[in-house]
Order: sequence, then C-alpha cells, then structure tokens
Amino acid sequence: MFSYALCVTKGEKHLRDRRHQGEQREHTKAVDRKANRTILYRTVILLVLFGVATFLPLCYKLWEIQIRDHDFYQQRAITQQTRDNAVSASRGKITDVTGKVLATSGTVYDVIISPNDFKMVQENWDKKFRDDDGNILTSAKGYYARPEVVTVANALAEILGSTPEKMQKLLEKNSKYEVAASRVEREVAEQIWQLISDMRLSNSLYTNPTTKRYYAYGSLAAQVIGWVNPNLENTGAYGMEALYESELAGQTGRVVTAKKGDGTEMKYSFQDYYDATDGNDLTLTLDATIQFYCERVLEKGVEMFDVQNGGFVIAMDPKTGSILAWANSPTYDLNSPWTVSDPVLSEYLESVKAAAGEDGTLTEEEKKKAYNTALGNMQNRQWRNKAISDSYEPGSTFKSIVLAAALEEGVVSESTTFFCPGSTIVADKRISCFGNTAHGSQTLAKAVANSCNVSFIAIGQALGAEKFYDYLEDFGFLEATNIDMQGESKLNPVPNLIWPRSLFTSANGITNLATASFGQGLQITPIQLITAFSAVVNGGHLMQPYVMSSITDGAGSVISQTQPTEVRQVISEETSARCRAILEGVVDGGSGKRAYVPGYQIGGKTGTSETLESRRGEDRAIVSFIGFAPVDDPQVVVLLAFDKPQPATPKGRLTEKGYYISGGNMAAVLAGELIEDILEYKGVEKVYTEEQRAFIDITVPNLVGQGLDVAKSALADSGFTVRTVGEGDTVTAQIPVGGAVIPSKSQVVLYLGEEKPTDQVTVPSLWGKTAAEAQAVLAQAGLYLRVGGTSRYMSANATVASQSITAGTKVERGTVIECLFSDNTMLD
Amino acid sequence: MPTLKRDLTMEQQLARGPMDLPFLMLVLMLTVIGVIAVFSASYATAIDEGRSATYYFIRQAIFAGMGVAVMYFASKINYQNYRWMSVFVLGFALLLLVLVLVPGFHTVRSDGVRRWLRGIGPIPSFQPSEVAKLGVILYFAARMCKRDTEKKRRFDVRHPLGKILQAAENLGLLEMVPYGAILVVIFVLMYFEPHMSGMILIMVPAAAILFAGGIPMWMVGAGGALVLGALFIMLNGHSYQATRILVWQDPWAYPRDGGYQIIQSLYAIGSGGLFGLGFGQSRQKQLFLPEAENDFIFSVWCEEMGLVGGILVLILFALLILRGYWIALHARDRFGSLLVVGIITLMAVQVFLNISVVTNLLPTTGVSLPFFSYGGTALMIQLMEMGIVLGVSRQIPAPKQG
Repeated sequence: MFSYALCVTKGEKHLRDRRHQGEQREHTKAVDRKANRTILYRTVILLVLFGVATFLPLCYKLWEIQIRDHDFYQQRAITQQTRDNAVSASRGKITDVTGKVLATSGTVYDVIISPNDFKMVQENWDKKFRDDDGNILTSAKGYYARPEVVTVANALAEILGSTPEKMQKLLEKNSKYEVAASRVEREVAEQIWQLISDMRLSNSLYTNPTTKRYYAYGSLAAQVIGWVNPNLENTGAYGMEALYESELAGQTGRVVTAKKGDGTEMKYSFQDYYDATDGNDLTLTLDATIQFYCERVLEKGVEMFDVQNGGFVIAMDPKTGSILAWANSPTYDLNSPWTVSDPVLSEYLESVKAAAGEDGTLTEEEKKKAYNTALGNMQNRQWRNKAISDSYEPGSTFKSIVLAAALEEGVVSESTTFFCPGSTIVADKRISCFGNTAHGSQTLAKAVANSCNVSFIAIGQALGAEKFYDYLEDFGFLEATNIDMQGESKLNPVPNLIWPRSLFTSANGITNLATASFGQGLQITPIQLITAFSAVVNGGHLMQPYVMSSITDGAGSVISQTQPTEVRQVISEETSARCRAILEGVVDGGSGKRAYVPGYQIGGKTGTSETLESRRGEDRAIVSFIGFAPVDDPQVVVLLAFDKPQPATPKGRLTEKGYYISGGNMAAVLAGELIEDILEYKGVEKVYTEEQRAFIDITVPNLVGQGLDVAKSALADSGFTVRTVGEGDTVTAQIPVGGAVIPSKSQVVLYLGEEKPTDQVTVPSLWGKTAAEAQAVLAQAGLYLRVGGTSRYMSANATVASQSITAGTKVERGTVIECLFSDNTMLD
Repeated sequence: MPTLKRDLTMEQQLARGPMDLPFLMLVLMLTVIGVIAVFSASYATAIDEGRSATYYFIRQAIFAGMGVAVMYFASKINYQNYRWMSVFVLGFALLLLVLVLVPGFHTVRSDGVRRWLRGIGPIPSFQPSEVAKLGVILYFAARMCKRDTEKKRRFDVRHPLGKILQAAENLGLLEMVPYGAILVVIFVLMYFEPHMSGMILIMVPAAAILFAGGIPMWMVGAGGALVLGALFIMLNGHSYQATRILVWQDPWAYPRDGGYQIIQSLYAIGSGGLFGLGFGQSRQKQLFLPEAENDFIFSVWCEEMGLVGGILVLILFALLILRGYWIALHARDRFGSLLVVGIITLMAVQVFLNISVVTNLLPTTGVSLPFFSYGGTALMIQLMEMGIVLGVSRQIPAPKQG
C-alpha cells in the first residue's frame, strides 16, 4: 500500500553517501517499511477507536435517554414547558325555600410570588440593560428601572397591608410559589396588576382567582348551612356545604398553555382548555323568616333563663317532614367560623385566659396551649349541630308518644280515669309527679294536661313492655331518621341509648318501662322526637325529615327534588285526631298554657327532663316544649328546648330573674310567641271564640263628628257595645277617646250633643282579681282594662299582680288601666 | 501560452488528482444539515434578542458557503507545502495565543475569560486556539513523518551529563523534547485564558499523531497514565472541577450550579423519543436550553428529529471519520497520513466530547459540534481542515488497472 511512499526531503538527500549508497538504500527501505507498517497498524487502531468505539456509548446513551427514559424526561419537560392553570368552578348558591340567598360565592384573589422567576426577571433585565462590563445602559431602547427586591417588597407591603420585611423575605426565598396574600378583593388585585405592569414583573408576581363564600345572613341557620374551609380549597367543612359538596362544588377546569424558558407564553403553540363546570344550586326547605323567628326566641330564652348549655329549636312541616327552621345555640357567624362570639362561650374563654394568667407556674407556651385548647373546644361547640348529634332524655314531651300508642292500642280512652296521690312505687322505687303534686282523680285528657307521671306509669303498664317497645320502633326511636343532614348517627339501633328489647321486656325491665312512660331513662335525639311527634299529629304518618328541597343547575332546571317520603303509618288518622284534641288541652289550661295564643288553636306537650347530672345532684335540667298548630290542620310542629337554665341558688327551682325552672314556665312561654309568629307569617287567620274576644285589644276609632248610624255600625264591627247619651244625630264626644286601646266587648259611650262628663273617678284596687272580675269592677267605675303579663291564658289561676295606675288615684272617666296578670303555678 | 501538462512535475500531477468523493459528499451533507439545524435551533434565541428570526441562520449559511470555497482551495494546495509552512503556522498561533492575553486584543466578557481575539475590520472575531490546533497538527505531522530517517545523536558517555543524555536518547526521550516543549508552552498560555476544553482538543490529536507516528508503546502507556493521573488529581483537588463531577453524577441536585443546562439538554433529547417532535417543533429551544444554537444544538436536533435523526447524524459523523482514517491509510506518504490522522482525530474528539456532554455521558466541557454549532470562523476553519484532508486524498495513487 505504501509502495510509492517516500519521505523525500532535502535533508535526507544530503545524508546519502555515495559510497554507502546501496547499503543505505537497503537500510532506508527496511526502516520505511517498518515505519509504514507502524503507521498502518496504529491508524487502524485509531480508526477503530474514534470511528467505531466512541460512537457506541453515544448511541447507547441516545437510546437510553430517548427510548428507555423517554416518558420520564418528557413528563418533566412538559411540566416545565406548560403552565397548568386551574379554572375554579363557581360554587353553587344555597337558597331558602322562598329563594332568599343564604350562601353565595364571589371571586377573590390569591396573590402569588415566584421568587425564582423574580430572579429570572432580574437576570433578564441585566441581560438587556447591562453591557459586558456591568454598566447600566440607561439610554437603551425601552429602558426601565431594575426591579429590586426592596422596591417590590415595599410596593407589595403597601398594597397588601403587610410589612416590607415580610415581603422581602418571601421574595428572597428559593421557591416558585409563595402566597403573599390570600383572598384579597378585586380592588386590591387591580393594584397588584398595575404593579406587575409598572415594574414588568410578569410571572414572578401574579394573582390566582379563587372564590370566597359569602353568607348574607351571617349566623342564620349556621349549623345547618355550614361553611366552606378556605384553607382546604374551599371545600365544605360543615353542614349542607359539606354534605352536598359534590353538587355545590362543580368541576374545576384547567387551562394548559405552553411557555418559554423565561416564563412567557409561547405564541402559536398549543393550548388546551378543560372547561370548568359550575356547581349546582341548592334550595333548602328552610324558610329564612321562620328561621329568624326561631333564632330570636332561642336567643331570648337563653338570655331570659340564664341558660348555660344553649338550646335548640326545630320547626317542621308535619305533613311532609320538611324542616322549616333549625336553630342551635350557641351559634356563630358563618362568615368567620373561627370567631367565638356567643356570650356564654366568650365568657368561658376569657375565664380560661384569666386563670392561665393568674397561674404563675405556667410558661407562656403552656398558657397559650391552654387557651388554644379551650378555643378549639368552644369552636367545636358552636359548630356542633346538637339537635341532631346529641341525644337527651325527652322527659314529659315523650308522653305524647306514649299517649298515641295507648290510644291506638285501645288500652286507654278519653273516659279512662286515673288517680294520682302524688307518687307511686315501682319495684321498690318511689316515683313522684313533677313538684310532688297530687293530681287526684283525673280523666286521660286531664292526666296529659297535668303531665301526671303516676297516670303515665299506669298507661305504660297497660300497654305492656312488648307493645311499648313495638311503638318505640315504629316511631323510629331505634333507627336514624335518615335526614339529609350531617351528624346523625347511622348506627341502627343507636347503641347504649335505648335498652335492648330483651332487657326492656324482662322482669327487670319494669322500672325502665315505668320511667320510659314519662320519657326518662331513654336517650333520643331531638330530630327523632319531632319526627315521631309529627306522626302523632299528622294522621299517623312517620315522615322522613329532609332539608334539601331541590337541586338546580345554573340554568335553573331542576336536577333533583326531594319528594316527601312516608316511612310508615304508625297510628290511625282517628287516633291522631284524638291525640291532637287531648294535646290541645295541654295548652288550653294545662301545663302548656303559657303557650296559649288567643285566636290560634295550639296543641303541645311540655317537658322538664332529668339528666344524668341532675340525678347525681347537679343542677342541669332540660326544659322543653313540643307543639303544633293549628290543631285541626297542623301546619307546623316546633320543638324548643333549653339546656341547663341556671338556678339562682344551688338546687334551687328559680332562676335569678325569678323564672321557675320547668318546660311549662319557660319553653312554653316562648313557644307560644314563636308559633304565633310562624302562623301569622304563614297567613293563618286568627279565629277567636266569644270568650277570647272579650280580651282582645282593639283600637277605638275616632267617631266625633260622624253620624250616629255610621258610628254605631263601626263600633259593632269591632265588637264594642255602644251606649248613647243625648238625642242628636251626630257624635259630639266619646269615651274612651279615639285611639285608645281597650278590650273588645267593652262599652263605648257616645255623646250626641250632650256634654261629656268631666268628673274624675277613683281607680279601684284590682289585685288578686281574675280578668273577668277586674273588667267588671273597672266598667262599674267607668274605666277600661287592658291585659298584659306572662300568660295570655285567662284562667282562674291568672290574677292581677299589678296595675298601671295605683288604686285610689283620681283619673278621667274612660281611662285605660293596664293590668299585669301572673300565674305562678308550677308547670311541668 | 499555458504550460503543457507534461511539463508538470510528478508532485504537481499528483496534486491534480481527484478528490475523495465519499469524504467530500459526507462533508457537504453534514455542512448542509448543520446549517439547517442552526436555523431551527437559533430562531427562538434570535427573536428573544430582538433580531430577525433568520439572523443566525443567514450568517451561518454565508460562512458555510465561504467555508466550502475555502475547502476547495485548500484541497487544491499541494499539501507537501505544509511541511515548511507548519513552522510558521505554529509560530503564528503562539503569537496569537500571547496576543489574546494582552488587554485590548481579546473580547471583553463578564466572566473574564480571554479566548477570543477581537475582530478587526473584515477579520471576524475568532479563537487563537483554532489556529493552534491546526499549527500543532501540521508541525507534529511534519516532524513525526521523518523521525525514522533522523540519525541518532551520540553523546560523550564519559561525561555524567552525557551519560544521562545518551540514556535518554536511547530511550527515545530526547526525540520527544520539542513536542513536549511546544505543548507545554501552548498549555501554559491557554491556562491563562483559561481554556481547558481547548487544551484537550490540542492534546488528543497531538497524541494521536505521536501514537500513529510510531513512538514506543511504553511511552504511549506512560503518557496515558500521566494524563489519567493529572485528571485524577485535578478532579479531586480543584473544587471547580470537582463540582463538575458532582453535577455530572446528579444534575438535579445542582439545578442552579451548572446542572441546569444538562437537565434542559436531557429534557430536550428525552422528549424527542423515537421520531422526534418534528422539524422546528422543539420546545426546549424556547429559552429553556442555554446556547441552543451552539453547544447544545445536538439536543435540539434530537428533540426535533428523535432517535432516528440523532443516530443518522452519528452515522454520518462515523462514516466521515472512518473515511478520513481510510484516506490516512491510503495517503501517498507518512506526512499525509499523519496530517489526516491529526485532523480527523481532532474532529472525532470534538464530536465525541460534544455529544457526550449533551447526553451527560461526560462532565460538562465547552466543546462545540463540528458543522452544527453556530460560529462562522470555527466552521470555516473546520472546512479548511476538511480541504486539507481532501488535498491529501488527491494524491492517493490510483489503483493499478486490471
């Protein structure tokens, strides 16, 4: 191959010696051949090394990266090349049954800093506006000031109301995502946008739209509606917000855009949209107005009766089982669920703080810990929907259920009579009536109205343990009501709350049967009780209670609607009607008479529950009232309870404000007020009996100057009786004057031309008189009565406790004397 | 009247022989593909810098055209002339290497590196090390090819120094002194630039020429051991170099300290898959990959053309290198062989180092990819070198006809 190869240089030529020419040539040839062979071999080695060997690892490496680990690298590359922005779906509204918006969402913004991108923004600036020597090229095209950490931090702090130090710390972090502020309103976001464009901070600072939940009515129905937790991506934390999360939340959408290395969007590149699906709207069966009434009486009662453990009110439509209102105390503002604002709870928190402060042995950290633990407990208490998650012994309100069972089974009837000596002995244990009252001989209706324990023990025994237990089951006390609300135990039967049938029906169960007959010794939930009670008064239908009325999509079309569901018929229509009549007697002169509202027929049952604590000798009673109205056609059932009204003295029966601790003296008073409000709101007309009419306050019209006939008919329409003085045709004066408020049926005197007598009359003493007596006395004196006070039930027990004008005072004829009646009987 | 053909010397006639067509074709294919790759890889950067999208492409294409012309003329030069020219080229290169260290002559960079001579007038900015590579290859080849004809020196063995010198001469060490001296001077000068990758690119072809030229095998072994030892000390001792090793082992652990570009390169190559994202479709060149049009152009190529495109380019390079060594094997004389060995080895090392770096087979060194990486003077010098190889190929004697 190297046959022609000659290394011919001048130098070599000179080396040739003529004498040794032949020898030399031979030698050179041999050396050449050897050298050529060496080059040949070694070049082949290089050829193999650089032409083949080095390419093998390269090919292997390419295969490894592009094929074997392709998915890994592609995944990572796509992650950095794309920006995946979530598009929040807007959360559905929650409205009440009339369409009032209880919960709605608005757009707010999270302000995000990407410190790493900020560094890149600065680097890019340096690239653009610094030359190789680091000089700043202020004259360069499009020059703007370098975005420095300090200036940006100051601007941010000012907009967001934070400190520059804090912002600076964020900007200097090594991260791509730092939250500078959460959920700022649009006005603030707009300032941020301005800052971004002013300082050219694109990508290193941006806002993420997110949603904030607004609760227009604050604390209204707080435990039912619940709230969304902004710290958990606005998912429902409690109540309906949590229960119907999937319906309300909708589907979060995404926008995926390609971006360049400097973070800017890659133009003309792919962009994928995954549309957000907005959440559906939820319509509740709650009526904000009724809810408001319930919360008002609840709050009033807690304050009035020094209630320590709060209370609850449930209003239900007995025909359908739909919940009209559901209030708990203590409560809170849904817009700031972590804030404890209830007076009782706040007071406790303050006391914890103070106690920790006084205890010198605690470190600051321990103090804080003690307070935070207390705060957490109080928060849980205010969030807790106790009317569904807590059970209690229902006490005498439960007698309504026993009554229904006994009537249905025919073991008692309206004509059955009971004798009550004040107590009875069951299995060597003395059981007394409320306040140890001996009710004597009484009919069934009277026994119910008196809430007589002795009689109900007899009724229970007449029913027998087996039948009694059957009814416990039939009325749903051993199962969940399956209401669509959070917090109900789904265990059937609920363990340890009600005795098992075997125990209840055994010989040892006799005491249990006795106490169960008047609602003690068994634990039920408020929702179970009101559901069962509704069955008692609605014709015997046990309805499944519900709170969700319907779900509609954004366009308003109904996706699902709750139809009233009857679980079973427990008692007959006829038995139900008999129960209603007997329960009306409780309010009409019985233990529930303080719930009496003239014009409305209200039935119900009071209850003063013993508790485990009270049996241990502590002061904790639960006073309650369960009622319905109107009696003939029940439209609403309410259950109202207050847990632990504080007696003024330990073991006392009166509160500081002088209220007797019992369902009849406490819950019934407010229940009457509540039912009246609800019925009026529902547009139920008041229908007065002749007796009731006598005590209805009516405003006297001004008739002076009018014709006699006109005046007479106007007064007759209002129910007044008329006496005329004089012979004229025109009214010249009247007693009382127009505008005075006096009971209907009172006499109005019209003067026709004659002078109105101007003599003064002496106010008589009315103390201790019943309403009828007082009115008679006043009429005699030419004066009028107006009724006020705790009870609107005009029974023989209600007597005048005080009068607005002291006896003996001289007043003008026709003056209205307002009398406060009081009824101090202790009522269960 | 023009001189007749028969008046030409044998050498002149040989220099008019045909170029090696396969080698020429491979060079042209790689040049064209390279320029196209620059187009795709550079436009994102160009736009970002506020330039026209085709700014880099057009410049590279012009240089390529000029480079092909230079290659042709280089191939027409009788390479035997390089024997005497080599001394001057080397001297010139050394002068430039000194000059580049003098303030005012090098380009100003923020990192203080002095590798580039400032462009003056029509002469564009370029690296003296490019000239040094050529100078070393020419000089080493010219000197190595005549080692066998050089007479052994004789020293006075009675003198102690003479004894040592004689022993060194017998071992062949004295013969190595000029080579070693030249490399040491160049390395010292480049150390001050500093230019580590440039040293490698000078050392390996030089070593290849010495190796092919026939230095004793023990010296090859000793040299290899020396280099390995030096590398070992450097990597363990010098924190800057040690960091490179750490980054190489796990780039993700050092995303901001040099690992970034490797990560981006791997993302680019990896997302290419088998067939790639399609020409022009690279996403990594959108400012993720630093120097997408330069050192990391092959990553973009692999992202767009996939494994298939990547392997195709590797095969073209391999064929070019194989054909290059084939020319070396068939060269008319030892000088031609060694010259081609040096040039082809230089290119092979560049290809290997560049692709090793972008695939994270080796730690980062700033070596560009021949024919592909953006850079006009480098491309022209490479094409000129190819022209020299083609010049050698012209003098390959035609096989005897049947």
